[in-house]
Amino acid sequence: MTDRPAAEREPGSYRDPSGFVFRRDGVLYRQINASFADDWATFDVSGLHSALVKEGVLVADAPASLDLAPEPGALAVIQPDAIEFITHPFEWSFSQLKDAALLTLRAQAMAGARGMTLRDASAYNVQFKGGKPILIDTLSFERAAPDQPWKPYRQFCENFLAPLALMAHRDGRLGQLLRTWVDGVPLDLASELLPGRTRYLSPGLAAHIHLHARGQRQHSGDSGPNPAAAQRSVTMSENRRLALLDHLKRTVEGLHLPAHGTVWADYADQTSYSAAGTASKEAIVKRMAEAVAADGGKVAWDVGANTGRYSAIAADAGFWVLALDIDWAAVERHYLALKASGEQRIMPFLADIAEPSPGIGWGNVERASLIDRSNADVVIGLALVHHLAIGRNVPLPMISSLMARLSPHLILEWIPKTDPMVQKLLAAREDIFTDYTPEGFKAAFSRDFEILEEAPIEDSGRVLFRMRRRS
Amino acid sequence: MHLVFLYIDPGAGSLVIQAIIAGLVSIPFFFRNAIRRTFGRFQSKPTDGASAATGSSAPEDKGAASTDSE
Repeated sequence: MTDRPAAEREPGSYRDPSGFVFRRDGVLYRQINASFADDWATFDVSGLHSALVKEGVLVADAPASLDLAPEPGALAVIQPDAIEFITHPFEWSFSQLKDAALLTLRAQAMAGARGMTLRDASAYNVQFKGGKPILIDTLSFERAAPDQPWKPYRQFCENFLAPLALMAHRDGRLGQLLRTWVDGVPLDLASELLPGRTRYLSPGLAAHIHLHARGQRQHSGDSGPNPAAAQRSVTMSENRRLALLDHLKRTVEGLHLPAHGTVWADYADQTSYSAAGTASKEAIVKRMAEAVAADGGKVAWDVGANTGRYSAIAADAGFWVLALDIDWAAVERHYLALKASGEQRIMPFLADIAEPSPGIGWGNVERASLIDRSNADVVIGLALVHHLAIGRNVPLPMISSLMARLSPHLILEWIPKTDPMVQKLLAAREDIFTDYTPEGFKAAFSRDFEILEEAPIEDSGRVLFRMRRRS
Repeated sequence: MHLVFLYIDPGAGSLVIQAIIAGLVSIPFFFRNAIRRTFGRFQSKPTDGASAATGSSAPEDKGAASTDSE
């Protein structure tokens, strides 16, 4: 063998016999197998490949050397454009998932117009790049056979429609069901959880969720001794397939979140800061972010970003920002504001740093945990530590060591016990937090970090710290 | 959970029900397209890429180069 770097197959890429994704030397490639040759050729010749890339529907790719293929049977190797950070569908807010759903339908419409069709409709085939959803599975398209039903119908309903409907009609938190059901929310469960009115007042949900779930129950057993043959006998004219896709699109577009916020989404408007305090905090965060950027920092994690006031400051300081928040409504508001402004350098998503997304799927590695995806050059934690230390009972040294695992630089706000927001947290509980003092804070973080800068915020008892991890 | 659930493939039911639902929704789809064909010249072209994608993908538009290029 040659001395080329070893190939490492992506743990989530094992289901599809037509190819897979792997890395060599950290670079992402996709092997396309000879068994997929005809579909791959049509994908190019039909103009679909270039049209999808041109329209920003599918991630761009460049041909790579066939020598890179790690397994026999390769027809081609391509190098897709890198996605800065992989997020999972259960980490998206309602509108992020909705935009991903509409993107999937758009890809199908473009494929349909060129005699091809999507083979699958997993939400994991969509990622966010430059603030917009984009398909990342270049092998998702095959030649459309005449008069066939739309194969990914069930997957689309389970991955997109069911969680969106539950968020819109029941509770915004129900997107979390996708964390338990990696392959999509079972339709019988969605049907049971949705309010009864959706059976009668929403034709789209009545059909694609409720009737669909009932049909699954009724027809799964009656396909006779040869279920495969029975399934092949289901045919559908092209006109009907287009009608179905059009109806799915109308159903998705018709879903909206009820117009009320949560505690967190309103939080940015009602902080305890005076105008002078806010201006002072913004100036210090800006200065500290610029100092880290000057030190070579590229990626910032704004943990507890809320609706993104300080994510924007970090972006302006030159960072590509991941804006994590525990509250779906804050992520939703942040995403919609970024979308409206065309901002491309900030990616908001739903994450709880005190209970980060675990590794899920096959072998617990198919979809990586939040900590395993850490790519931060700096963690910005503003008004965060008191929530972890007092709200979640995490000792300060443990907060420090987690931060040290996440990032070499840290911009962190210290909020004293006398602060009204901390007093609120302590109002309904016994104060068992004897180490929650400026000295305790500095001692805890000094074990993992060197404190480079300490800047009191005007008109408040709060202090901002810039730290660098000890090597 | 009964063991039998492990052998039920909801995919089979999905295909059957998809055909039924497609049949139902193709009726209003047909009329909407007929109306659009008749009055289409009075309407402005859709500007949103997403709505253009399926909005103009009625059968008579199949293969039209403009289907999804905004």
